[in-house]
Amino acid sequence: MLGICLGSVYAIAATGLVVTYTTSGIFNFAHGAVGMISAMFYWQMRFGYHLPAPIAFVLTVGVFAPVVGVALDVVVMRGLRGTSEVTRLVIPIAVLLAVNGVATWIWFRDSNKAYLPQKFFGGSTVKIFGQAVFYHQLIGVGLSAIVAASLYVMLYRTRMGVTMRASVDDRSLLMLNGGRPDQASLVSWAIGSSLAGLAGVLLSPQLGALQVLALTLLVFDAYTAAIVGRLRNVPLVYVGAMGLGLSKLYWDWLSDAGQKWTALRSMRGALPAILLFVALLLLPQDRLRGAVVLRTRERFNVPTIKQAVIWGGVLIAAIAMLQALMSNSAVISLSNAMGLSLMALGLVLITGYAGEINLAAYTFAGVALIVAWQFDVGPGGKATRESLSVAAIVLAMAVCAVVGGLIALPALRLRGLYLGLATFAFAIIVNQLVLTQADTLKANIFGWKFDLNLMTGGTLTVPRPRWFGVDFATNQRAYLLLMTILFAIVGVCLIVLRRSGFGRMIVAMKDSPAACATLGMNVRGLKLAVFMLSSSIAGLGGLMWVAQQRTATGQGSFDVFAGLALFMIAVVGGIGYVSGALIAGIFLSVLSVVMPNIWLKLGTDYPSLHWLFVSVFGNFTKFVGPALVGIGLGKNPSGIAQQIMDGFRPLRKAPGAVAAMAAVGIGLWALAWRNVIGNWTFTLAFIVLIIGGSKLIMKMLPGRFVAERQALIGEDLDHLGLATRLAATDKDVFDAALGLPPIIKQDRPLHAAS
Amino acid sequence: MPLLECNGVDMRFGGLHALSDVSITAEAGAITGLIGPNGAGKTTLFNCITGMIDPTGGRIVVAGTDVTGIPPFKRARLGISRTFQRLELFTSLSVIENIRVAGTIRNRWSKDRSDVNDEAERIVDLIGIRHLASREVSEIPTGMARRVELGRALMTKPKLLLLDEPASGQDEAETEEFGNLLVQLAEQGTGILLVEHDVSLVMNVCTQISVLDFGVIIARGTPQEIQRNDAVIAAYLGEAPL
Repeated sequence: MLGICLGSVYAIAATGLVVTYTTSGIFNFAHGAVGMISAMFYWQMRFGYHLPAPIAFVLTVGVFAPVVGVALDVVVMRGLRGTSEVTRLVIPIAVLLAVNGVATWIWFRDSNKAYLPQKFFGGSTVKIFGQAVFYHQLIGVGLSAIVAASLYVMLYRTRMGVTMRASVDDRSLLMLNGGRPDQASLVSWAIGSSLAGLAGVLLSPQLGALQVLALTLLVFDAYTAAIVGRLRNVPLVYVGAMGLGLSKLYWDWLSDAGQKWTALRSMRGALPAILLFVALLLLPQDRLRGAVVLRTRERFNVPTIKQAVIWGGVLIAAIAMLQALMSNSAVISLSNAMGLSLMALGLVLITGYAGEINLAAYTFAGVALIVAWQFDVGPGGKATRESLSVAAIVLAMAVCAVVGGLIALPALRLRGLYLGLATFAFAIIVNQLVLTQADTLKANIFGWKFDLNLMTGGTLTVPRPRWFGVDFATNQRAYLLLMTILFAIVGVCLIVLRRSGFGRMIVAMKDSPAACATLGMNVRGLKLAVFMLSSSIAGLGGLMWVAQQRTATGQGSFDVFAGLALFMIAVVGGIGYVSGALIAGIFLSVLSVVMPNIWLKLGTDYPSLHWLFVSVFGNFTKFVGPALVGIGLGKNPSGIAQQIMDGFRPLRKAPGAVAAMAAVGIGLWALAWRNVIGNWTFTLAFIVLIIGGSKLIMKMLPGRFVAERQALIGEDLDHLGLATRLAATDKDVFDAALGLPPIIKQDRPLHAAS
Repeated sequence: MPLLECNGVDMRFGGLHALSDVSITAEAGAITGLIGPNGAGKTTLFNCITGMIDPTGGRIVVAGTDVTGIPPFKRARLGISRTFQRLELFTSLSVIENIRVAGTIRNRWSKDRSDVNDEAERIVDLIGIRHLASREVSEIPTGMARRVELGRALMTKPKLLLLDEPASGQDEAETEEFGNLLVQLAEQGTGILLVEHDVSLVMNVCTQISVLDFGVIIARGTPQEIQRNDAVIAAYLGEAPL
């Protein structure tokens, strides 16, 4: 009975997910977060403002949650039409992080404050079949039945329901027949969010005290039920939800049954993720996918190997010069960024090149950490060393590759969203069962007894390398350079791989697995190889990043949502580019560490504005900034790296001017290095030089940038000279459009001639 | 023995009977036409032959090997290659890279390995797209993109080539040139199964033609026989009003 009660609430949450997915084609990863913030809102109304429970409930489920859903649809989700599966997954992840950030900002700035949820009717119970059942649970069952019946009637018996279903099949055809898909989308997001809110309110009393991540994951558990229903079959969703509810209850009963099964208790947190993983593996095989890239907006250019080597050298030189100007704390922040960038390189291979989704990058960092620690430091290792050995790094990478392969092997038949969910489930499982297990596990396998202590006390300290006579543990700047060199080497290797026959096969697999199969390619074998390689790169990056932190805790360092953030920011940076990984690391570090520190310093320097700098700007940057960056991706799905390259690519036509710009830049650095100018002056001058310099070059040498002007004007040549006054150089644009050689010299203005 | 034998192939999608007891053959060194109105089931049959979908009934035999139920990549390794009605090019790669990658893939499974670059250059000249070799595939016209798909398929040195509307998007002169290329390929021993709406191309290059309508083979024979077949005329033009 209790399992059915729990299952009913899961069914409500899962049904909401299905409603939005079937009408918009977007899997709302933020569904759990909407449930969480709705539960917090309910608490605020009910216990913060002491409103009666029915009023607080109606305000939450009938007003707040639907408004959140409508806002999501209008502001964010509509921008996702015509984008790839990766982008359509990343934006909801960004929303999830944003909602979590907002909730943390509003309710959890003061970590000592506890929010205690209560069941309806003060936790009163009634006996049913001899078992005490809370009225709260009965309300859940009743509302679940009402939701199921109402949804059936709405989807199959109303005009709006038909419109909602039709908008999935063919949006354009629906509009041609007078339907309004935008309205249908709005209604579906309002309903979906309302159901998430309802589930959040009903599930929240399961927690002793409300917490952002725990509450989000509580609603996330319902994703398993949605997957059982293949995200479209509501009756099957209910079957999955009941199965999930009963499993949780039976698991508790089994783990409490006697000493023999106590180990199961620690696995309770991972149970929904395990069930999700199993449900995904049991999904029927998808047909081979055809080309989708033709219809999406993402485009990635590939640099030549020579360009890659040059830019790798420029990066190393730039970091070497920059660190000479930086304070110790800034060097630590940049090192942190470089470690994250190195980890994100694994995502460039798996997602940028191969088009597959892996949301468990941090998990591989954790696996690499445990392997390297056990090998170099731990009691099972060689000896207690003070230096991270090459052998430990290689072993960690190899183990990550094997683990990546083991995950990929059953998940190979999945793709896109389902593969993303499978890797996320894997991240939760490893997090719950391995990375957060501080206690020693006394194992007994067929009489072979041993103690397994993977995360000693929940915290591991990893030594840094000591190579080439340099002690990277004491020399932070040298460690930054080491990571930069590693980044450059791995980055160049990735571009060499991308330009090789193997790389072309990977990209071909992304563009059209169906065509690849008809050429004789075993798509699964290639996918497995890519998964293993990217996992080992993530392991290398993760290990170097952890060594940068020096100490890692299972709970804090490998948070599953941090993995989502890294994936999101890597896509924002430009997942198809090595430089995108660099941007990702820097962004994540700047937004989560550097900017809040700057606001804090400003707040300290100007106490009267402390509230503005720290409470508003600082918290906003820290909690919501990364997510807002992610949400902006909808406007530029190819990422920031592409945008920067597009902006500066024309300058290749003026190498002399670029060399002059570089010389000025180096001159500025020299002035800052010799303390002639301050660091802030240098930073501002450098930004002005990069942005202003490029515009100046294009303005001063118009003859060389005819094509770029033409691209700016686009196809609107007919209106040139009408909307704006015709410039002398516009004649070159006409000439280029007509295929005539450009006229470099212009004796007199064109309008004067006419 | 025919290169391809489809015996009683049946394909149902829920209540839709897309193919009913379809039996056709294709010979090595010959071009066999498969025509029919839109929605007749031609592409579905191609998908069944290449393994993109598993038929609900019947057998498919290629060069004496029953390939029914085996995955698409293994069928490709037995010598089946195809082009697609809806283009399936690798849009992240240039024209020449699209062709090279097929050779790279082939070299990984074939014992008869060849120099990918040399072979790609030969194919580019053979199919007449030298002037487009360095272009992005998303930039070239549809007719030329179909040639790139043909070139990619040829890189696997197929015994049986399935072409799904390869001439669509090509003008009259290009289509004639394309027909000559198909004849040349057939003369070199390749068996070709051609789905095409350009009836004159089909009539000019095919030795045998099968006609599908609503998932059923309604006629088979030489081009001349097909042109005179009443059932075919009715399928294309409709019954004469009473």
